[in-house]
Amino acid sequence: MAVVEARDLVKRFRVPAVRRDTVREHALDLFRRRPAETFTVLDGISFAVQCGETIGIMGRNGSGKSTLLKILSGIYQPDRGQVITRAPLTPILELGVGWNPELDAVDNVCLLGVVMGMSLAEVRAATDDILAFAALERFANMKLRHFSSGMAARLAYSVAFTAVRDVLVLDEVFAVGDAGFKARCEQRYRDLRAAGHTVILVSHDPRIISTYCPRALLLENGRVVADGPGADVASTYLAMLT
Amino acid sequence: MAASPVVFQRTHHLDLLWTFVRTDFKTRYHGTIGGFLWALVKPFAMFVVLLWVFSFLFDADGQYRLRLIIGLFLFDFFAESTKAGITSLHAKGYLVSKARFPSWIAVVSSLANAVITLGIFVVAITVFRTATAGAAPAVSLALFLFYLLMFLLIVTGFSLAASVVFLRYRDLNQVWEVVVQAGFFVAPVVYPLDIIPERYHAFLYAWPPTAVIEFSRSVLIAEAIPSGRAHLLLAVEALAALALGIAVFRRYAPTAAERL
Repeated sequence: MAVVEARDLVKRFRVPAVRRDTVREHALDLFRRRPAETFTVLDGISFAVQCGETIGIMGRNGSGKSTLLKILSGIYQPDRGQVITRAPLTPILELGVGWNPELDAVDNVCLLGVVMGMSLAEVRAATDDILAFAALERFANMKLRHFSSGMAARLAYSVAFTAVRDVLVLDEVFAVGDAGFKARCEQRYRDLRAAGHTVILVSHDPRIISTYCPRALLLENGRVVADGPGADVASTYLAMLT
Repeated sequence: MAASPVVFQRTHHLDLLWTFVRTDFKTRYHGTIGGFLWALVKPFAMFVVLLWVFSFLFDADGQYRLRLIIGLFLFDFFAESTKAGITSLHAKGYLVSKARFPSWIAVVSSLANAVITLGIFVVAITVFRTATAGAAPAVSLALFLFYLLMFLLIVTGFSLAASVVFLRYRDLNQVWEVVVQAGFFVAPVVYPLDIIPERYHAFLYAWPPTAVIEFSRSVLIAEAIPSGRAHLLLAVEALAALALGIAVFRRYAPTAAERL
């Protein structure tokens, strides 16, 4: 059974030549024309992900990958089409910038864990493991504003990997951290797959897609231009770049 | 449309609300003397200072100073909570754009600081009233709490609507500050309503703080209960404000992440 279904997704962004974001600007330019350009980021995307399947998504910058993940995760709304999810979904998108810099690591773990659907009791019980996975136990009481971007990203992924429900949506997860952290992420990812989690994985890395994704999609100009075995799609992607 | 199974249970809503309130307080009061305690001491200290100023400095009569203090605290609650509500979703933008969660909780949690201040005021005014004029009748206290509940519904409705509108109009908070400043003199905070001709009272009552302030003074000081029709109008106003706020929020919140 498909746990995630995307049906004919269309997403457009209207970018005005001059932005008007205030009451004052709207009042002053009330009768002035407002030229705008419309960009179609997703143009009729359809696919289904079966329960327990791992699917990779590749594409050049601007091909619509991140927008697609945000729509699948319910963060953006499509202009047309429908996403049907039949199981709880945990997105891990551009994390590391979603912190409160004035709070320490433990409080941020609590904040993000609960936002991602964990109960407070679950977060508290898992906090030591989360810090250990990110190798940040010594910095538990340090404010996030003193963390390097790499440390913050490690902590974010550590929380997200712990908060996983049924479907995991990952955006460039293996691009974060040092070799040791990458190895732990890959092991955790293998564990999740072995446990039967469904995974939707965006990556620019042909090795990641070939190794972990039996199936992959290739996006170009908001359309699916290839849908097949991960290794084949990775080769097509490389050929497209050269 | 994205259809999704329920990820957040009711208990998670409470966990999320508590976590937002707790982290907001930690951020707000970090580095202050007393930390969390400051949130509790501040409204109490304000009550004592106002009482002292109007008792000794201006030598105001007992009723006037109590009327003034009730008006000031209630209006302060309205001003602080609505200002916090307007920017609440934007302030949590770093989460709204990265994860899916019930974003209305971010708006409701932003009212916590003003609600705690109001709660301490209720305790202080009840103790003071008991010490100076004897205990207020139970019905008066119950009605006072009812007015505060209606006030909270109005503020929540406004905050829900304003939090999503703010993402389109980023100076809405500044416009609202001007409205609140002017509104301070529309509500009968520093003057008695009686000095305004009665034919204008309906306009003044259209401004939400007016009814709550006047009704609260009436039951706490004069021990006179406003009419049933007045109560009904207040309840209708509160429920309408909440319903409108929810409707606007439901309409625009799904695209909030795209506006951040």
